[in-house]
Amino acid sequence: MIILQKLSWFFRLYWKRYAIAFVALLVISCLAMVAPWITGQLVDSIANDTLTYEHLIEEIALLLGIGIVIYGLRVLWRRQLYGASFKLAALMRGKIYDHMTLMAPGFFQRHHTGDLMARATNDVTAVEMTAGEAILALFDGVMTGVVVLIMMVVMVSWKLTLLALLPWPVMGYFMWKFGHQMHDTFSEAQRQFSLLNDKTQENITGIRLIKAFGQQPQMERAYSDVTRDVSAANLAVAKVEAKYDPVIYLTVSTSFFLAVAGGAWLIYQDELTIGELTTFTMYLTFLIWPMFAYGWTLNLIERGSAAHTRIDELLQTTPAISNDGARNSVESTHIDASIKRFAYEENNDVLHNINFQIIPGSTFGIVGHTGSGKSTLIQLLLRMHEGSETTICFDHHDIKTYRLETLRSQFGLVPQDPFLFSVTIAENIALGCPEASLDEVRAAAKLACIDDEIMNFPEQYSTLVGERGITLSGGQKQRIAIARALLIDPPVLIFDDALSAVDLNTERQILAHIKTARRGRSNIIVCHRLSAVLEADEIIVLRHGTIEERGRHTQLLQLNGWYAQMFRYQQIEAAVQHG
Amino acid sequence: MANSNTTETRGPLKRLLGYALHDKKRLWQALLLLLIATAADVTAPLLIKVFLDDYVVPGNWQMDAIIWIGIAYIFFMLLAATTNYMQAVRLNVIAQGAVQTLREQVFARVMRLPLSHFDHTPTGSMVSRMTNDTESIKELYVNVVGSFIQNMMRILGVIIAMAILDWQLMIICLLFVPVVAFLMWLYQRISAPLFHRARGLLSDINAKLHESIQGMRVVQLNGQQPRFRRDFSSLAEEHYQARRRNAHLDAWLLRPLVDLLQKLILAGLLFTFAYQSLDNPVEIGVIYAFVTYLGRFAEPLIEITQRLNLYQQAIVAGERVFQLLDTEVKTISPDDNARITSGKVELDHIHFSYNEKQQVINDISLMIPAGKFHAIVGHTGSGKSTLTQLLLRFYQPQQGLIKIDDQPLNSFSETELRRAVGIVQQDPFIFNSSVRDNITLSEAIDEPTIIETAKQAGLHSHIERLPQGYNTILDERGSNLSTGQRQLLAMARALVHRPQILILDEATANIDSHTEAVIQQALMKLRGKVTLLVIAHRLSTIEKADEILVLHQGEVAQRGSHVALINQRGIYQHLYQMQTMELEDE
Repeated sequence: MIILQKLSWFFRLYWKRYAIAFVALLVISCLAMVAPWITGQLVDSIANDTLTYEHLIEEIALLLGIGIVIYGLRVLWRRQLYGASFKLAALMRGKIYDHMTLMAPGFFQRHHTGDLMARATNDVTAVEMTAGEAILALFDGVMTGVVVLIMMVVMVSWKLTLLALLPWPVMGYFMWKFGHQMHDTFSEAQRQFSLLNDKTQENITGIRLIKAFGQQPQMERAYSDVTRDVSAANLAVAKVEAKYDPVIYLTVSTSFFLAVAGGAWLIYQDELTIGELTTFTMYLTFLIWPMFAYGWTLNLIERGSAAHTRIDELLQTTPAISNDGARNSVESTHIDASIKRFAYEENNDVLHNINFQIIPGSTFGIVGHTGSGKSTLIQLLLRMHEGSETTICFDHHDIKTYRLETLRSQFGLVPQDPFLFSVTIAENIALGCPEASLDEVRAAAKLACIDDEIMNFPEQYSTLVGERGITLSGGQKQRIAIARALLIDPPVLIFDDALSAVDLNTERQILAHIKTARRGRSNIIVCHRLSAVLEADEIIVLRHGTIEERGRHTQLLQLNGWYAQMFRYQQIEAAVQHG
Repeated sequence: MANSNTTETRGPLKRLLGYALHDKKRLWQALLLLLIATAADVTAPLLIKVFLDDYVVPGNWQMDAIIWIGIAYIFFMLLAATTNYMQAVRLNVIAQGAVQTLREQVFARVMRLPLSHFDHTPTGSMVSRMTNDTESIKELYVNVVGSFIQNMMRILGVIIAMAILDWQLMIICLLFVPVVAFLMWLYQRISAPLFHRARGLLSDINAKLHESIQGMRVVQLNGQQPRFRRDFSSLAEEHYQARRRNAHLDAWLLRPLVDLLQKLILAGLLFTFAYQSLDNPVEIGVIYAFVTYLGRFAEPLIEITQRLNLYQQAIVAGERVFQLLDTEVKTISPDDNARITSGKVELDHIHFSYNEKQQVINDISLMIPAGKFHAIVGHTGSGKSTLTQLLLRFYQPQQGLIKIDDQPLNSFSETELRRAVGIVQQDPFIFNSSVRDNITLSEAIDEPTIIETAKQAGLHSHIERLPQGYNTILDERGSNLSTGQRQLLAMARALVHRPQILILDEATANIDSHTEAVIQQALMKLRGKVTLLVIAHRLSTIEKADEILVLHQGEVAQRGSHVALINQRGIYQHLYQMQTMELEDE
């Protein structure tokens, strides 16, 4: 029942819909009582031979009228109630999505894509059932039950009613017990579905690798195991669910048995007429639904609460990066970083003892070994990650004191592995400022040396890319990402090894474009090819997570360390090529 | 879905039911149990009728007979409950088996789809078909089939019982059947497109979720969260609207309407009965039985209509799954005996285009003798990567023939081709499992070999720094490795499988020069034993190649050895000068 409390925000929001449904259901359950009453009266008057033709027509007309009113009301509550529960699903999906947009990268490392998708679809559906079907069964079951009981007591006999209700507490006990089993098995089933979703997603994403290594048979076997687990988990749920019906059936049948036996006894005692017994057993049939409703409600509530817990787990995750800074303006792009140590996991430092400043308008180079922590450093600057022993100041204020939007709007990052959305090329370039004109988009694309190629596509800038669109080469994707960053003309531009898939000729052109287009602004360039940082105002060389060398290109050469060695190495390459 | 199915004439229902037939024995058991349950269920009220008519009404209080009736009633009650439970469990086992089979089949089919399919279908929507849609199909077996059979039997039983009592009244009740059948037909016609739309939108939601999760960082860095939130919530809203329309249709046509019909029949029944009684005496017990039977007659019909939307949803989901399952795969008929022994590669006048509008590869021919080292260079977008994809048989060229060891590429079985051809891709995919499994791809390879290979690929020292070494679990997208480290891992992965032909597609782009030199040495050791095809920007990587192919806009612009090419005027010399100039700038 806690689940109903947790969903109370929604019930309050849509109380009108629920109120209308409630009233309609109430009226229906009262009106529904009239039919057996009419039937009983007719039967009695037939038995007593007191029936007249006029009386018959009257009763039949009443019966039909009630039928039509009930029809109208039934349509009404369905529209209200199911409409509301579907709305809940839409709202919850929105909530989950909104919440995900607040999450830092760490969150997406912990939660797999397929799992997140399962929670936003499959689990939401289970909660939706609670807000629709379960609420209905609860309302209708309780109301019908109460009304029928009142009718039974008032119209027929309280003794008989009490007798017929004897098996109920026993059923209640079993339902309660099944509820617990349902919760556990359903939780497991939802978890297994998540795994299935995850596995499916992973296999489709990795299809190229799977095909390239001929791994289909292995993957099929592994997938088989997953589907088997899902089936087993679902079967466990089904087995619990299958217990509900027999228990309810036995209860109802026992009630019937007791009612008829007791009724016969009362007739024998002359306390009851046959017509009354007919009415009573008819009322008893009306109790079948409330009883099933009771079981059904408990079943759905357990499912809903298991699913809701899974959704809540996501929604309760506080963003690893809290957006509680207040500063929303920046004067200069002065950056001052001081990282005593930073680690993703305990005792496994990725960075330590790093201090540097980036003067506005300067170009800052970061070079170093594969895995030396270059990308991590960039993530820290952008506050995608943060650590307790790192202090990074932007415009002389700690970046934590800025609103995240303000901070990030200062940067334009071109990541190592560019990501394109399933929209047109123009929209992909204009991601950061959707209102940009095509001319502005093209200007950025020209700086990134991709305009010519785009103009060669059949639909030019309107060409769809990404999952639904054309296949682009790695270099084309990278240059679109560069254009994306250049279009927003950020105060600080960051290239995170962003020219790796671009050939040398193009790299050279892009760097030249940037040099003129970004005069007076800061650039941070992470690279492997030293050619990209020759003109930087300062270069740091990272090794095993710390700064090993620093200075301008010429100074670094004089140091005769890793940088000089690497530079010579690249020169030897050149010399060898001279032949 | 690009490939809609036209040849399949069997309806989705028939096909779905076919899956339930896999377990015939259990199905028969379930049906038999269902029959017993239904019979017992119908018998119980008959006993009450007998009791009322023969004992209560005439005031005939014969205790032993009454007790026997009571015992019989309890017996049938227990029988119905037990058999009902047993059949429900069996039907569920059948359903889960059917869904499992279906999932396995779809998965196997998806794994065999040509890559072009994946280029144009969003991952999320494919996942949706494989999981959410198959999940909905389950309802068909569990909630629809069982309930339908059971309720039909009940109806039949009730009809027989009524016919015995009074055939005229039975006819009145029977009027119900064609009317309800018509309603069901009407509902199915109207609702199918609505369900299709709703499920299609659920697919879109999945696709959107998938893409957003993958690209969340980009969204956040560009401060576009509000816009993406709006987009998503309007999609969720659209889905809501579609389902609301479904709910409205359900409300107008299903349970409420059948319920109204029941009232009409009740009125008709009472009227006929009472009207008869005005002239002739009637048995009260018969009225009682009829009113009860009418309830028992309407109840199964109402239940059938209640399940109708589940049925329709399952059918629509089934159609969507079958669409994927029926996607035609251009079958290549490999010769199981074809073997790759030496690794000679030949491309003969290859033409290729992804979309048949833009030619990506234009008449390329190439011959790599076994054990030689060939390289491909060229500007981005010149078709280098596409060439490797063709060689891996990911796509089929529109014209021309690719041969390995003088046999057509298509004559090799999947297993043989994948065993013999290894690839290191630029953007390697990382599985959510241990480093070791990512290298071996779960094949049994001994530890020394793994470590030896990792050293060759320059990966070993990086792995040693990870908290659990080779047992460290890498997460999806490999975010606990840097891009360069991922490339090293991909290199180790390819080397450990000892291919005859090794393709490197920009495999060292994000690796520092020093590490690259290590890899270079490893590659040179393979020279003569393994055919190498290397695509690279850095000319230093390929200068030792036996032949270099310069691609320009899908065509071979130049070919020859490094020395020959730098002395030729052309793209290579230009690329080369660009590179050396950078270094001479200082």
